[in-house]
Amino acid sequence: MRIKLLGWTEIVALLLLSCGFIVPMFTRSVLVYSVLNQAFVGVIAAESVWIMLRMNLLSFATPAFMAIGGYTVAIAGQYDITDAFLMTAAAFLVPALVAVPLGALVLRLRGTYFVLVTFVLSQIMQLLIFETPGLTGGSNGISGVAPVTLFGAEMGTNRLVLEYACGLAMGATLITGVLTRYFRQHFAAIEENEILAESLGLVVWRYKALGFVVAAGVAGLAGYSLVNMLLTAHPSSFDSATAVDFIAYTIIGGRLSILGPVLGTGALVYATNLFGTHGQYAQGLYGVLILVVVLAARGGIVGTIAALWRRVS
Amino acid sequence: MDQFIQAAIIGVSLGAQYALLALGFTLIFGILGVVNFSHGGFYMLGGYVAYSCVAFLGLPYPLAVLVAVVATGALGWVFELFLLERLVDDHLATLMLTLGLYLVVSTGLLTVFGPLSMEFAFPVTGALHMGPIYVPRENLIVLVVCLAAIAALWLVLFRTDLGRGLRALADDRAVAMAQGLRPKLLFPLAFAIATGLAGLTGALVTPILSLSPNVGDPVLATSFLTVILGGLGSLEGAALAAFVVGIVEAFSSVYFGGSIGALVLFVLVLLLLVFRPTGLMGRPVRGA
Amino acid sequence: MKHRLFVAAMLTLPATAFAQNCEMKLGAMGPMSGGAAQWGLAMNSAAELAAAEVNQEGGVKIGGKTCKVVVVPYDSKYTADGAAAGSNALAAQDIHLIIGPVGSPEATGIKPVAARNEQISWNASYAKNALEPKFPLMFHIAPGPSGWADAVIKRAMKEFPMKSVALIAPNDQGGTDIASVDAEAYKANGVTTTEEYYQRGTTNFAPIVTRILAAKPDVVDTASSPPGDAGVIIKQLRLAGFTGAIGRLGGPGTDEIVRVSGGLDVLKNFYWFETVPTGDPKVRAIDDEYKKLLGKDPIGGTAVWADLPAARMTLKAVSIAGTDDAKAVAAALRKMPVDDPNIGKGYWAGKKQFGIAQELQFPFGVGIIKDGKNLGVERQEVKPE
Repeated sequence: MRIKLLGWTEIVALLLLSCGFIVPMFTRSVLVYSVLNQAFVGVIAAESVWIMLRMNLLSFATPAFMAIGGYTVAIAGQYDITDAFLMTAAAFLVPALVAVPLGALVLRLRGTYFVLVTFVLSQIMQLLIFETPGLTGGSNGISGVAPVTLFGAEMGTNRLVLEYACGLAMGATLITGVLTRYFRQHFAAIEENEILAESLGLVVWRYKALGFVVAAGVAGLAGYSLVNMLLTAHPSSFDSATAVDFIAYTIIGGRLSILGPVLGTGALVYATNLFGTHGQYAQGLYGVLILVVVLAARGGIVGTIAALWRRVS
Repeated sequence: MDQFIQAAIIGVSLGAQYALLALGFTLIFGILGVVNFSHGGFYMLGGYVAYSCVAFLGLPYPLAVLVAVVATGALGWVFELFLLERLVDDHLATLMLTLGLYLVVSTGLLTVFGPLSMEFAFPVTGALHMGPIYVPRENLIVLVVCLAAIAALWLVLFRTDLGRGLRALADDRAVAMAQGLRPKLLFPLAFAIATGLAGLTGALVTPILSLSPNVGDPVLATSFLTVILGGLGSLEGAALAAFVVGIVEAFSSVYFGGSIGALVLFVLVLLLLVFRPTGLMGRPVRGA
Repeated sequence: MKHRLFVAAMLTLPATAFAQNCEMKLGAMGPMSGGAAQWGLAMNSAAELAAAEVNQEGGVKIGGKTCKVVVVPYDSKYTADGAAAGSNALAAQDIHLIIGPVGSPEATGIKPVAARNEQISWNASYAKNALEPKFPLMFHIAPGPSGWADAVIKRAMKEFPMKSVALIAPNDQGGTDIASVDAEAYKANGVTTTEEYYQRGTTNFAPIVTRILAAKPDVVDTASSPPGDAGVIIKQLRLAGFTGAIGRLGGPGTDEIVRVSGGLDVLKNFYWFETVPTGDPKVRAIDDEYKKLLGKDPIGGTAVWADLPAARMTLKAVSIAGTDDAKAVAAALRKMPVDDPNIGKGYWAGKKQFGIAQELQFPFGVGIIKDGKNLGVERQEVKPE
């Protein structure tokens, strides 16, 4: 059995993301930069959700791990540690390490119990931030986070920030892609029927724990990218309600392949920016969009494209 | 000691309110397998319908509550029948649909009624004082209505054919359908009962607390919490857990303050789930 | 309706740079959905009114032409990311002037981004760092409690003698940044304080009320709790048998508090800070003018009145500068005397607190309700720093 490390969907996803390096050659529009930058943050967070969905687990804990990753970098910045490679590693590893004991606790739960307990986790994280002002700045957050440095050079301009976010998104996609490809059959077995998989000798908990830990690390990268974009680590950025957005990105995009979170995030982030200028109607328009896509496009954007493709060919 | 008794009284009255909300939430989950993100929307809608009946139509408050129950139930029925029903087996899709509905409902209310709280008062006010201890009269009424609603729901589910049908669908849909039960008829009905309960809670509680287009947000979180604790799909569990959550919230807020109190509540729920992964009275459930 | 929304959506697509006669876009930002929607919608109403006034006379003068002012709202959702995204979305429509945002997280989020986009933004947050010298294009609408808390407390103490006060506010930045400053002001007046923070989203305050009352304070102050929350807190305080005075050294919203709490009889003894002297008929006339010019009621209550002067002055500064370039408009603003036809005369403040004098300080109001009787809102003039 030969296991491919990357399939064509991952390669298409990476190519799509690489527009972050190409687009700045053609435009300097702040909106394009801003939407792309938000999308790069969102893609990473959505991929974290998607990893868990591969095992039929819907996680609301993404903002909690994003907060750990984001605050790790913000706090390190206060000690003048800004090296890009070091920070990327820290933003991935610290949440991943926290996820090890947490995973031991929550992975015993299945289905909707898991959904609800991850929801509680992100609520707890929010309160922990409020209750630890010495470390996290409490309700005021940490503002004026030092820009990241690459080989000692500061990445301060809009374009560099965007390109860095793009790099992080591609890195996260690579990690997600390799993980889900390499363990494709294991994850599929767990998704299909966990008890059956276990009875056939698959050590289910090992793969679930691995998925959970990597998903936490990936979410940490999203938090890092977000903090780097805003130069601020603020509790409102990691509100438990934002988990719903990342889940929406993934489901609207389609859970079939990694293209789902990428396309879904792109579409919904663009829509959010578009609707934002409609003031009080913004949320309602977003709601209508979700209703329409879910009803009209089964399997999300990716599922619909796949269905169309089948019909054409 | 006074403080202790007072906290217990508050806890029970919080519990009554949470029970009404959690019953509907767990009913929808138990029977349809849908996590209803729009539950808070129906709560708000119940409040606004009752408010409109009193303020614009001049109806007496009890009648307004009834109208609110019927209206929210009807909307739930329509929503289930025409939108949710098509995708009822896709748990992620239904989650997104109910989320979309919630966003539309809250934007609609914001647009029609504006962002400010309404002037909507409970017809009975005041409290019974016994020394330093007090019990607000309106809370007693909510408690009575809540117990009546739980009793009524129990009667419907366990003493009628309709209830037997619903429970059969919850237990094993395939077998139930093979026996000739028709989910197309029963699902919208179950959804309507649940949303009607949320509407009832809204109509009862918003005049005691406040009514604005964002009071639905915390409802979801509370229902979530209660329902996990109780065990998904278990009515008895939800009712029991609601009172546990209410009492824990009351005591932790009184003794630790609002912010740490909430933290205590969440950590307790987390711990309980770790040691009893299916809640107080739950059973293993289908995947999300 | 759907069609209109669709057309509107198409028009705001960044690519459609359509050439109209001459038009200047003014941004209005703040939370326009969710719990704080009122404040963002008030920003929008204020911007709309200021624009309508200017448009009545043709518009603002830009480079010898008279340009119509169009308001573009943005829902920044009370988050740092929302405001940052909003700054960019507005910048993409070539908007250099933003009335808003409102919340402390929003102010934190917009500062670096608006600076990069060269936009003026008028935040109305009570954040302790609402202005910073390194962000010279930021302006500030609502002075924080350090500017008025002392005056309100001194006035209140004349009516309601007090030795101890319990402050209650949400546990996020919107609550902690103001209640802690209020507490300092009470202490400076010899009043002992306790601070109590609740989780935003709390709906039933009975347990927290029980906790507060255990300390038997003379006065309870609801600080910057949202008006809906404050109304419930007051209702439940009175139910619990609390008879002392209740204060509110926070944002506007007294009408709403009266509605939610159950009326003046429930409030009984109440004192509060108003960002503008709301008792003044000239101030109240703003709503009539809005209705006359825009044909509907303004949304956002008294906050509209507080936000309006900033919008008016910004548009005036555009005509003086002859451009909507942020730096030029900011320079014109700094030289402009602070005077509003409805609110009265004010000053540029903020040098002491923020190190930069870009805060609008206007006469404010102290409202008193005594024994269930509304004594009205007294006007408090301000002195230059």
